[in-house]
Amino acid sequence: MEEKFDAIIVGAGLAGLGAAYTLAQEGLEVLLLERGDYPGSKNVTGGRIYLNPIRDMFPDLWKKAPLERHITQEGVSVMAGERSLNVSYRGEELDQEPYQSYSILRAKFDRWMAKQAERKGAMLVSRSRVDDLIIENGRVEGVYAGGDELRSHTVIACDGVLSLMAEKAGLRKAGSASQYGVGFKEIIELDSALINERFGLEGDEGAARLFMGEVTRGKFGGGFLYTNKDSVSLGIVVGIKDLIEGQPAVQAPVLLDEFKQRPEVARLIKGGETVEYSAHVIPEGGLRALTKLSGDGILVAGDAAGFSMNIGVTVRGMEYALASGYYAAQAVIQAKAKEDFSAASLASYESMLNDSFVMQDFKNFSEAPEALENHRIYSYYPELAGNIMRDLYSVPAGSKAKLYPTVKKYLGTGELWAMFKDMRKVMKI
Amino acid sequence: MNIVVAMKQIPDLQQIRIRNRKPVLDGVPSALGVIDKNALEAAVLLKEKQGGKVIVLSAGNEEVEETVKEALAAGADEAFLVLDDDLEGADGSTKAMVLAEAINKIEDVGLILFGEGSGDNYSGQVGSRVAELLGMPQAAYASSIEINDSSAVITRSLEDGDEILEVSLPVVVSVLGDINEPRIPSVTQILKAGRKPKEVLELEDLEINLTGLPEIMTVSNLAPETDRKQVKVASVEELLQALRTEGVI
Amino acid sequence: MSEIIGLKAKLGLDVFKHDKEPHIKIKPGMEKDPRLKRAILVCPAGLYEENQDGEVELTIDGCLECGTCRIACGTEVLEWYYPTGGAGVQFRFG
Repeated sequence: MEEKFDAIIVGAGLAGLGAAYTLAQEGLEVLLLERGDYPGSKNVTGGRIYLNPIRDMFPDLWKKAPLERHITQEGVSVMAGERSLNVSYRGEELDQEPYQSYSILRAKFDRWMAKQAERKGAMLVSRSRVDDLIIENGRVEGVYAGGDELRSHTVIACDGVLSLMAEKAGLRKAGSASQYGVGFKEIIELDSALINERFGLEGDEGAARLFMGEVTRGKFGGGFLYTNKDSVSLGIVVGIKDLIEGQPAVQAPVLLDEFKQRPEVARLIKGGETVEYSAHVIPEGGLRALTKLSGDGILVAGDAAGFSMNIGVTVRGMEYALASGYYAAQAVIQAKAKEDFSAASLASYESMLNDSFVMQDFKNFSEAPEALENHRIYSYYPELAGNIMRDLYSVPAGSKAKLYPTVKKYLGTGELWAMFKDMRKVMKI
Repeated sequence: MNIVVAMKQIPDLQQIRIRNRKPVLDGVPSALGVIDKNALEAAVLLKEKQGGKVIVLSAGNEEVEETVKEALAAGADEAFLVLDDDLEGADGSTKAMVLAEAINKIEDVGLILFGEGSGDNYSGQVGSRVAELLGMPQAAYASSIEINDSSAVITRSLEDGDEILEVSLPVVVSVLGDINEPRIPSVTQILKAGRKPKEVLELEDLEINLTGLPEIMTVSNLAPETDRKQVKVASVEELLQALRTEGVI
Repeated sequence: MSEIIGLKAKLGLDVFKHDKEPHIKIKPGMEKDPRLKRAILVCPAGLYEENQDGEVELTIDGCLECGTCRIACGTEVLEWYYPTGGAGVQFRFG
């Protein structure tokens, strides 16, 4: 093809869509390549997106976006073998517009957002796998896709957590298992009225629940549940390193089946029908695992760059994907204005990210991956908390022990010291 | 000489799931019929040999304009579309009248190609109906097509052998799914497809009267419900026991 | 039903489009490599199995393209690509 695009974007996930939308809006020539049947067909999320950090980057988008429910209820369950401790939070602030967070199904949302980007003038070609980068004199000049040679001033690699593009450009090394988790989930169809009844919701209100402890058999990770309009996303995220190392050895899919059978969960999904099973790797290495973000003629955004973060109470990735796509587009827009697509020019991407919530978050939470690696969080503490609760609440046939000694018997001096050390680590998050 | 390929927009069958014994069509992407793509490929191969244009013809809702891009990318030169929401799911006789009338508006048509059956209903009758309406000869089950000046030599694959026909042009031909292997368009071809000419008509632009046509309604197309009990037995004793329980013996 | 359904049945709920060639292959000679055994534990679709000879076998049908095996085993033992355009799993919900 004679024409040279301003940008070729590899992958129509949220990073790619954010970039395509922004570039097209500014009138740049942008080609978005997606290997799936349609944008979203290869994309998986646990299920919730936080809008506040990205609302203003795409001001026209949110009103009609096909999101599921706005989350008004947060819950964390600490699960021991036979009991669990639950904390739930609901607040008026969660039920006030503009809502901060929504459950989301990506096959629906991404397809819709791609339409919006196309309307702005982006060219989308689905069912097209990018096979390689065109690299000439150390500079990325475009891509090869299905025998076609497509040339562009810049390539934005938004090809997901494994980013083969960033690897080919020498911006990313194949990471170690400790820097990644794997998430797998079922979509379970349930009548929306039933969802509302079971979770105590009204209308489009939604619930989010995280589960930790026994659900991963003590491995780094946890379970999640998000209510959609008429389905529930139920899944597990677990560290790949922990899965490999065993202790106890368990095949990943078994964890989800066990999770579904926990009485706390089983009653929530009873009568529902599983309609899809999906899985994906999640970058969890934090700041230290980020790739090099740009090179000569190339930028990396979204999961491809490592922009996803687990800080225990929240697991986030989609906002970082949309925002990094947005900033990558801004860098290309500036480069186009200067007619300079060199590495130095495109480095403005990194400085914009540094000034944004994206890198601020990654810096603020740079200690999280290490702190959360502590296995006591996933096995010891859940059991301990469960046991204390059991003893506090049990009324035996004979006399009941005094409350303070009941608790204290679990918390000897050595124990408290170990907890103090663990706490200090967690306090770095 | 131009070749018209009639192609039908159908839901991507693999994407349809069944809920309460009914297909869920909501959000299912549209595609062109699988054998229709063989018809297109046959047309493009003929065109590459002897010139002319390949015009893809389709009638359906507005989405067709997008769906037909696939055909333009895979070698069609132009699209001729009749768009109307009422045409989506219209029966074979209506579709045939619309297509025949549209073909009347296309110049220098020598060959009209169909797939042997559509990807969804597979009734395989629209091609014959169009031939009848246009007063043209028709050859079905074609496994090869050759064009000589004013006639076509068509091999028909029939159950007990091949039949070779020589037919004068213009002719309506429906092709088999194994006549060829349709090409997969490249990104460049897909991009160019967006710029190929499209003639879009509405139903009113055609001089046909569709009112008062006998309407065919599908009452049910479900497989019969099975009344089999699907009892598994491991031994003859169990079988006998099961039959006794049922009161059969 | 939200009851436990087998993994095969679960994968049967997804849409898969046929690819001409398997997009992930075990590199010849690596079938007994200990790194490959990790895939048996980590694959969410349970596509890796060890046979009687101690070799790991991969059935590509049902691959969710999640990438876990690439991370866990590495590209020294696996030849790993994405399926060709339009092939492989197509999520309807995601």
